[in-house]
Amino acid sequence: MSASRDDFGIVIRSALLQRGARQKFSLFFLICLSGLIFFLDSFPSKVMDKARSVLNDGIYVTSSVATSPIRGFSYLKEKTKLHFFTYSENKILKEELKKFKEQDFKSEYLSTENKNLKKAIESSQTAIENNTQDNISAKVLLDKESPFLKSIIVSKGSRAGIKKGMPVINEGYLIGKVVEVNYLSSRILLLGDLNSKIPIIIEKFGIHAILSGFGEKRPRLEYLPEGFELSEATTVFTSGKDGIFPPGIPVGKTIIDKGLIEVDLFADPDQLSFVNVILTESSIKEQF
Amino acid sequence: MAIIFKNFRSKLINSVPIIFLYFLSITEIDTQFSNYFQILSFNLQFIIIYYWVLRDPSVLGNGHVFFAGIINDVIMGLPMGTSPLTYLVVSFMGIYIRNVTVKMTLFTDWFTFILAIFFANLIYLILISNFSNVAITYLDLFYNSLFTFLFYPLFWVIFNSYRALLGVRIHD
Repeated sequence: MSASRDDFGIVIRSALLQRGARQKFSLFFLICLSGLIFFLDSFPSKVMDKARSVLNDGIYVTSSVATSPIRGFSYLKEKTKLHFFTYSENKILKEELKKFKEQDFKSEYLSTENKNLKKAIESSQTAIENNTQDNISAKVLLDKESPFLKSIIVSKGSRAGIKKGMPVINEGYLIGKVVEVNYLSSRILLLGDLNSKIPIIIEKFGIHAILSGFGEKRPRLEYLPEGFELSEATTVFTSGKDGIFPPGIPVGKTIIDKGLIEVDLFADPDQLSFVNVILTESSIKEQF
Repeated sequence: MAIIFKNFRSKLINSVPIIFLYFLSITEIDTQFSNYFQILSFNLQFIIIYYWVLRDPSVLGNGHVFFAGIINDVIMGLPMGTSPLTYLVVSFMGIYIRNVTVKMTLFTDWFTFILAIFFANLIYLILISNFSNVAITYLDLFYNSLFTFLFYPLFWVIFNSYRALLGVRIHD
C-alpha cells in the first residue's frame, strides 16, 4: 500500500519537475509563474495595467497581421457568394416587396405606430448628430468569438480619447460598449455577451427595461413591468438612464420567442468592419 | 547543403504542432460553430497539447504551451494566466499518463483525456468564478468539454497519420 503511494508520488514529482530535450522549463515552474501572473493581474496595479496594455497592443497588432490572409479569403468568398446569389436574391426581394405593397397601410394602428417611430428615429438621429463631433471611427481588428465571451477589438485606444464604458455604434445603431482600453486598441463588449446590461426604453410605450446578453446573438429584455404585454417588432432605444449612454440610440426590434422577449439587433455583430465610439463625458472607471 | 536542407526540413516539420498551436491562439480561427449548430464548440488547443505531450513531448515544449496560453488570454480578454494554467494542467495530465502507461492506444488516450479536460476546466471555473467578474455559462462549458472529448479520436487519427507521414514509428 505504502509502496504504491510512493510510486504515485514519484510519478507526480517526475511529471512536475522533469525537463526533457525541448523542455527548458519544468512544469512546476511554469504553473507557479502562471499563478503569479494571474494573481498580479487580478489585483489592479499601475505597473501591471501598463504591462498588460503594452502586451495587448503588441499581440493585437500581430494577430491582426496574422489574420489578414484569412480576412482576405473571407472577403473574396463573400464577394463571390454575393455575385452568384444576386439574381436569386433579387427575385426573393421582388416577392417580398410585392407582399409589403399588398399590406394595408391605411390601418390606423400602423400609421400611429409609424408616426411614433418616425418621431423616435428623428430624436435619436438628432441625438447622434449632436454627438457627431464626439464620434470617432475605428476599424475592427479582431472579432474572435468564444463560446463564452462576445467581444471585438478595435483599432483606437486611449490615444484617441477612448475611455471605459463609452457606447459604440455601427451605422447609427448600438452594438456595445468599451470594456478595455489600451493605448492603441480597445475591446468592445457586444450586446449579446453574458456580461452586457444596457438600460433601454420602449419608445412606443415609454417603458424602461434592461437589455441583457445571454451569450447568444439576440439579447433579451428584462425587468419589464409586471403584466406588461409587449408586441413583436417594437423598436427599443437606449434610455440614457445610466448617465453614460446618450438617450435615443436605436438598438433593435423585439421578437417573442418561446415566451422570452428578445431583441433582434439592427446592427449585425457578425458583419462589423468599422464602428463609431461615442466620446461621452460620463464614462465609467470600472464596470467590467 | 543537403544536410542543411534536411535539418531545416525536419525542424520545420517538427515545429508544425507548435505553429498550429500559436496560430490557433493568435488568429481568428475559431473552433466554435455556433452559427451552424448552436452548441458545437470545442477546444482544439487542449487536443493538440494532450496528444503531442503524450505521444511526442520533444515536439511541444511546456514554455510554448505557456506562451500560447498567454496569447490566448489576451485575444479572448480573459484574466491573464487563466489559459496557461489550464493548458499546463492538460500538459501535466499528459506527462503523468505517459509515465504510468506502458502501452498506449487510442482508447487509453481518449478516456484519460476526460481527466485532463475535467481538471483543466475545473481550474478554469475556479479561477473565473472566484477571481474575476467574467460571467460564463456552465452549460456552454459543458458542451465545449463534451465536444472536445468527442473530437479527440478524429484529431488522434489526423496527428497519427501526420506522424506516420514523417516516418516516425507510432508505437515507439
